[in-house]
Amino acid sequence: MKRREQILSELRSTPALPMPAIRVVQLIQEPDVDMRELSQAVRYDPSLTATVLRLANSSYFGAARSIGSVQEAVMRLGTNRLFRVLTASAVAPLAGLAVKGYDLQPGALLEHAVAVALAAERLAASVDQPAPNYTFTAALLHDIGKIAMGSCVQIDARPIMDLAFRQNLSFQAAEREVLGIDHAEAGAILLEFWNLPPGLVEVVRRHHEPDTAEPGTLAIDLVHAADSLCLLAGIGSGADGTHYRPAPAVLSRLQLGTKLGEAVICQVWSSLRDLTGLLSVTVGDGVNVTCPSDCG
Amino acid sequence: MNAPVGISKESPSGHTQAASVTHTVGISDMKATDRPNDVLVTYSLGSCIGLTLFDPVAGVGGMIHCMLPLSNIDRATADRNPYMFTDTGVPALLQAIFDMGAERRRLAAKVAGAASLLDEKGMFRIGERNYTVLRKILCKNDILVAAEDVGGTVARTMYLYMQTGRTMIKSGSREMEL
Repeated sequence: MKRREQILSELRSTPALPMPAIRVVQLIQEPDVDMRELSQAVRYDPSLTATVLRLANSSYFGAARSIGSVQEAVMRLGTNRLFRVLTASAVAPLAGLAVKGYDLQPGALLEHAVAVALAAERLAASVDQPAPNYTFTAALLHDIGKIAMGSCVQIDARPIMDLAFRQNLSFQAAEREVLGIDHAEAGAILLEFWNLPPGLVEVVRRHHEPDTAEPGTLAIDLVHAADSLCLLAGIGSGADGTHYRPAPAVLSRLQLGTKLGEAVICQVWSSLRDLTGLLSVTVGDGVNVTCPSDCG
Repeated sequence: MNAPVGISKESPSGHTQAASVTHTVGISDMKATDRPNDVLVTYSLGSCIGLTLFDPVAGVGGMIHCMLPLSNIDRATADRNPYMFTDTGVPALLQAIFDMGAERRRLAAKVAGAASLLDEKGMFRIGERNYTVLRKILCKNDILVAAEDVGGTVARTMYLYMQTGRTMIKSGSREMEL
């Protein structure tokens, strides 16, 4: 399809995450991450260093004494929190942009990404199995395709929405009809260019259609369910609104219904205010996010 | 607890501005005003409830964006932010506009939101529950709903123009007056 080919070629010229951020995201997916190597990757990036220190000193993490080194910050945050913080701050500069094609205000996509990550974490706590450690990262990056398609290619969401309503299609199914590609696949392709791990890429690719994945892939289930809840509640949503179809099989595997859904939304919204406030400072820091001139 | 955001025309500067001033009502947020040049707006209403109240005689109005129906799922959060829940937020909005001189019998209530996903099996009934709780509270307070745009699978933006009391809804390319 012509439009698909055009979008694919423009995806290749989409500005990547800054190198240190990519390195950090890659490092933290490894089961035996070398903390020294990780600290190094952070230390060479002023914006990441600033974020890690700011977060480690924030009341959100119960700061009592002020600390000034990355190493101390790593100790205070603990590896799990550090992973989350680093990924979030690596993604923030890109996700903080306005995404015109999807009618997303500046910061809306970041708010949505962080909310979905928090919701996935909360849902993971309610099931017995431990979630793979890339779940949080995948949740943060699940809509990265919207940045590429909405900012660079500058798709127009209106004909897509019109088609979705006319034929009772979900938004991403209508995207495929109109453009030959949807934002989930576009995001997956982008992350493949950036050499991110296949498990993570798979979550991004399937997040609206978990039934097309191996049944019961927990990370995909969690991100799909978390995304459904945040879209429903309108957290960082755009022109596509709530026009998505939740997968009943996933919701039943997670035993997720109205009651748990409301509890998750309540908790996510409470934590989100603290976290996005901290992250938004990093938006735009030292990253060239202007689209190439031949783009769109 | 957050203080209600009352915007009074008796501003320190002592004069009313001619140009309109837009105030955004965030998710789980409320604003009440008696300034004719104010425009209140709330974005991204999904399953949430957006409610505007306007008293044309007193020139007092307000808007709230409630996320969840009932505060009993988290009392501590409701104490910190009553506007998050329909059952605590709507009475707080009513109180705020009564304090500014609005009268119950003159109020025009307009409602938007309560959307759902393409959820044919009805797995999440959050929008529906928000709407039901809202109607109960308004009924208990003898307030009739003058107009509404609820349900479906669209995200809505809601405006209240204090100059005229008009409530407008935008969703995608559709724009209408309620």
